[in-house]
Amino acid sequence: MTDLLIIGGGITGQVAALTAAEAGARVTIVDSQRNAGSHANAGSLHVQMQSRFLRLNPHLAENLESSLPLYLSAVTEWEALDARLGGVELTREGGLMLAENDAQLAFLHEKAERERRKGLDVEILNRDPLHAIAPWLSSRIVGAELCRNEGKLNPLVANRKMRATLDALGVRHVHDRITRVEDGPRPVAHGATDYRADTILIAAAWGAEALTAPLGLSLRTPPEPLHMNITEAGEYQIHHLVQHAERPITLKQFRSGQVVIGGGWDANLASDARHAPTIRKTSLLGNVALAAQIAPGIGGLRVLRTWAGYNTPVDGKATIGPAHPQNRVFLALPGDAGYTLGPVTGRTAAALAMGLEPPIDPAPYAPARWRA
Amino acid sequence: MTLRFTFDGQEITCPDTSSLAAALTAAGHRAFRDTEQGAQRGIFCGMGVCQDCLVTVDGRPNQRACMTPARDGMTVETQTARPSLTPPAPRDLTPHRMRPTVLVIGGGAGGLSAAIAARESGAEVVLLDERKVPGGQYYKQAAQGDPLDDQQAEGRALVQAARDAGVTILPQTEVWGAFDGPEIMATAPDAVYAIAPKKLIVATGAYERPTMIPGWTLPGVMTVGAAQTLWRSYRTLPGKRVALFGNGPLVTQVALELADGGVDVALLAEAAPHPLRRPLAGADMLRRDRALAVKGLRMLARLRSHKVRPTHDALPRAIRQTDDGLEVTYTVGGQTRTVTADAVCLNYGFQPSNEVLRLLGCDMSYDAGFDHLRVTRAETCETSVPNVYAIGDCCGLGGAPAAVTEGRIAGRAATGSAPLPEDQEELARHRAFQDALWRVYSADLPLPEDAPPDTHICRCEEVTKAQLDAALADDPTDIGALKRATRVGMGRCQGRYCAPAVAGIMARRQCRPLEDLSYFAPRVPIKPVDIAAITAAEALLDPEE
Repeated sequence: MTDLLIIGGGITGQVAALTAAEAGARVTIVDSQRNAGSHANAGSLHVQMQSRFLRLNPHLAENLESSLPLYLSAVTEWEALDARLGGVELTREGGLMLAENDAQLAFLHEKAERERRKGLDVEILNRDPLHAIAPWLSSRIVGAELCRNEGKLNPLVANRKMRATLDALGVRHVHDRITRVEDGPRPVAHGATDYRADTILIAAAWGAEALTAPLGLSLRTPPEPLHMNITEAGEYQIHHLVQHAERPITLKQFRSGQVVIGGGWDANLASDARHAPTIRKTSLLGNVALAAQIAPGIGGLRVLRTWAGYNTPVDGKATIGPAHPQNRVFLALPGDAGYTLGPVTGRTAAALAMGLEPPIDPAPYAPARWRA
Repeated sequence: MTLRFTFDGQEITCPDTSSLAAALTAAGHRAFRDTEQGAQRGIFCGMGVCQDCLVTVDGRPNQRACMTPARDGMTVETQTARPSLTPPAPRDLTPHRMRPTVLVIGGGAGGLSAAIAARESGAEVVLLDERKVPGGQYYKQAAQGDPLDDQQAEGRALVQAARDAGVTILPQTEVWGAFDGPEIMATAPDAVYAIAPKKLIVATGAYERPTMIPGWTLPGVMTVGAAQTLWRSYRTLPGKRVALFGNGPLVTQVALELADGGVDVALLAEAAPHPLRRPLAGADMLRRDRALAVKGLRMLARLRSHKVRPTHDALPRAIRQTDDGLEVTYTVGGQTRTVTADAVCLNYGFQPSNEVLRLLGCDMSYDAGFDHLRVTRAETCETSVPNVYAIGDCCGLGGAPAAVTEGRIAGRAATGSAPLPEDQEELARHRAFQDALWRVYSADLPLPEDAPPDTHICRCEEVTKAQLDAALADDPTDIGALKRATRVGMGRCQGRYCAPAVAGIMARRQCRPLEDLSYFAPRVPIKPVDIAAITAAEALLDPEE
């Protein structure tokens, strides 16, 4: 007896489960437990447009810009989740996008103006005020865009507490790989066994394409393997989420003192389903060397570990809602920055599936754009 | 010659060949760093893998005292859990790109022998070793002075033979990365290396397996090998009263060496029953290698002259710090006893240092007898990855004599020569001896799942058995899920101690056989690497990369 069957146990599926279970639904999560993006995520709460995405996907810039209000709702959603889960080391101390020269600063001025029009709390800081709030920065940084909406959290803590909260609500977890979903009045998900439910929600990120193609949807969800590094712990001094106007980097410090370095350096796809994506030497060397250039203060810490995880950019815009009108199969795909957008995406999709009031207007994210 | 440095402001004098760990131990210091949870840590492995003996040296945090030579005028401080983000003094690291015919990683018995054999063909051979003086864990060279005994003399001769043969030996050079090619990334005090050899010979040895009991992380509790290094390499005793607990011949050997050095051996506790209860295996040992077996019997006789007799069937259960020292509660059969000492040494077998091999994707299989992975090899010691050879204990325990022979076979094979029949015969004999030896020493060791709840399973992240049990209740599918749930294995030692324990616990719970995938996924860096070294190595990237 399942009211809502969720395919995908990452943060999107988990928040969908939380929403539905709190509304009294009987919920089951089926997850293949392989290379979930949420399990590799480093906990940035992105709001301002990432230069990484603009550079890699210039054709999707418009989608990203139109999604900015969703990013604002996403951080609000995360704050609520932080309270609900009893603290996930979430801080909202803002994000800095750094500039090393006047051209980069001019780009940030223009970007900030566009973002301000979408309701973001952004400001351009010149050298002195910037270095006053971030003394660990290199003197080569001439200014930055400060986005006060941004923040960070500890995904290991969030994932652990989320699991405990769902267990307490009686959400059932099943380990299986769903290979096909059948629509109908009582839809079926096929894995090692068949799972029937009133409603099925696909929150499977890079696994969504294979499940939605037979439903007549044309969305593409190739995984984007990204490289991450983490250092030993140091005194907690880097409060902001740090990015660069032109170069691929995100850098932040967990409350535990460890510095996490990433920002879109590529990794290798996993060789098969049993293995994880692997590391490229070029990404490790390039990413860490860049971090040391912009934040020389981390130079006394050693790099402890590297790993790679899958981001699923889709088209840079979320996909939320029923696969077809009147359909009992729903989609919840954040479309880039899955960990930031996961909670708002999951809650909205579950609300639609359960006939509850969604936290945002889902119309711009309807799956209609994927129907042939 | 002596030198002076300060530790937390106090002046310390030591020989100019001393490691920081040896100098601090000689000066009576046991605790080197504070942990996140406010506990203290000191020397544990003594060989650069556990990352517990960290100190701040001249403002640069997290330096391993066991691997750092003492220098005149150094300022050494207790390592705080979270050092300030102050940029340390810049390091002058010269980037080097090398393309030798043969690269050997590890300057122990196997590595030296492989390098010498490979040089016979005239090939260019580079050998990397982490220590200032090569020799590895078996030959453990003295930092100064004459060899202590035949074993050290033999090692010194082997190092000299490698130098005479024209092997390029890069000391104090630590490998942190291995990538397809193969390409090896390494750091030294004044240089960084990217080395792409035609043939790679991995001879990285093994590290010791401890036993996980309450108190095994206390300062003064160390591996048997760490105590041996203090004495054999630096003529420093780990304490006045020493208790040794373990399984296998190394424990007895080190008890004798320490007793000869003036230590009061408070207890020599062997997990295995008395050898007379296994006469068949004992006779087999004697038959396979009479000289080695007799050497073992002589050791026992000499220990008796120090009034030390091994206590058999003995296992440590808990260690606590008292005013009088470290008090170990242990059991002998069904009896519980205690012993107090200044230093407690543990060794319950070995784990292969197979990180490079796993990173390169070499096929592995699980050896239940030794509870560790063994790399799959051809007769030439070549692994499943072409041009990558593996020899000695990094392949799975085999002992130093076998490593020397395997080194000769691999060194020849890497330079185009077939194995000599006499080497193959010798190797068969060494392996048969090892087999008989470990039948004599076979013991029922406690499983980590039976440890008390307050036992640390992960030293680095201070994860207890109770925390692990709580996470296991969620039925994690694999070891990665358990790692994310508890942080087990996320610390500086990269899971070297907890991974085998946790992999075993998971496999037994799930009734599944152990395999390569049962352990944490191999990842670079295989040891924590200085950000300055990475920045310097970036200069080694080809433009097209």
